[in-house]
Amino acid sequence: MPTVYPKGSPTELLGLLVLLEGHKGSEDVALLADDLDLEIDEIFPSLEFAEVLQLVKVTDGRATFTELGRKLVAASIRERKTILREQLRKTALFRTILRALENSPNHRLSDEELGHIVSFTTARADEAEQNIVNWGRYADLFRYDADEHVLVAVRRPSPPRSGGRTPPPSAPAAVAPSAMVAERKSTGADPPASLLPPRARA
Amino acid sequence: MALIRVDHVDKSFPTRHGSIAIMQEITFDVRDADFLAIVGPSGCGKSSLLRLIQGLDRPTRGTIYFRDRPVEGVARGMAMVFQNFALFPWLTINQNVAFGLEALGWPPEKIGAQVERYISVTGLEGFEEAYPREISGGMRQRVGLARALAVEPEVLLMDEPFSALDPLTAEGLREEVLQLWRDPQLPPEAVLLVTHNIEEAIQLADRVVVLSRRPGHVLAEVVIDLPRPRDRKSPAFYELTDRVYSLITEGGTVASQGTASNGEGGRPG
Repeated sequence: MPTVYPKGSPTELLGLLVLLEGHKGSEDVALLADDLDLEIDEIFPSLEFAEVLQLVKVTDGRATFTELGRKLVAASIRERKTILREQLRKTALFRTILRALENSPNHRLSDEELGHIVSFTTARADEAEQNIVNWGRYADLFRYDADEHVLVAVRRPSPPRSGGRTPPPSAPAAVAPSAMVAERKSTGADPPASLLPPRARA
Repeated sequence: MALIRVDHVDKSFPTRHGSIAIMQEITFDVRDADFLAIVGPSGCGKSSLLRLIQGLDRPTRGTIYFRDRPVEGVARGMAMVFQNFALFPWLTINQNVAFGLEALGWPPEKIGAQVERYISVTGLEGFEEAYPREISGGMRQRVGLARALAVEPEVLLMDEPFSALDPLTAEGLREEVLQLWRDPQLPPEAVLLVTHNIEEAIQLADRVVVLSRRPGHVLAEVVIDLPRPRDRKSPAFYELTDRVYSLITEGGTVASQGTASNGEGGRPG
């Protein structure tokens, strides 16, 4: 199966799920589109990606909520973000990008490096890269620095918010991101990083 | 209690050939916890009405009250969301949201936390350092929303906020606006939405004020007592849509004003 890249925007995907909710969670795809006076191909990208994220199942031209899709619609704006983050992490493309971010020096990826990853998918490069940045930002999986044209890893576990308590350095739960990277590197279990051209050429 | 009371308001603009009436005899209330929509054909003065309510312009006749005090000059306690987002392209998302607070003279040390809170409730985390040009229409309007909510308005004024968005994005954002309005932890108390989209008004609002063609006057106030989320294909929804369409298309003359507003029974209190 080809690697699927994000289609549409997070708000569009939500719109589709809200629409489906209005039809009690299951509806013929053509009728869903008709609800907003859209052609079927106008909702298809979001529908396809909703299926990739396991929020909707499409069988015989009928879209139906999965349990998770139903949960997402009922969730708060913040909870929706968390659900989408977890689902994006499960896709091959985002897994690859996140590993590449972990493994790259400074935990950054240039546009060119991202383009290289995207070139292994069937996506049209410009659209795919824009959507990847948009979804990754929305789901708080990485940042994007538009001045330097680089993806920047989000440090997890995130530091405490308001300068209050900092976890003791010896606490086993508080593994620094750099330590996680080092550990992964030492196991050598990260083939996706090899998708990247050597830094010297980048 | 009425949060906002629009009391027999006229607005006309002087021209070289005499004055042109934009709206006449507009009267309605926005109450606590209200989601009120104003619909009407283009040119009926819907957006001008929002400007009057916010105190950016003054009525030719009549008075607008905010919490029983006449609105004179720009009213505190209200904030506006615009159709075209009205973001500053040279400011980051964070800076755009902070802008309203700075303009209100908030102490700088308090602005950061307030911005963070409203970035978070509108789902904008991750976009803090982005510029408006980098983000999609849906995200831009979230910034417009975050900027308006950050000043913790009692009334959120929305001027065609979904009209510049593609239909799916608009559908998603409408739902999130409802969610924010219903959250008792968050402002605003009430929402006043101006739209030309009748279905949108019926989907979102508790009450719909229907305006006529120019000069705009109130044709009716329609109560929408359908449970949310509202099914656009339900007979009750269709019936309401049909009624509002008929009011607008048939009610363009001043003559129908009295009967129509009586007939809708829009004032239970």
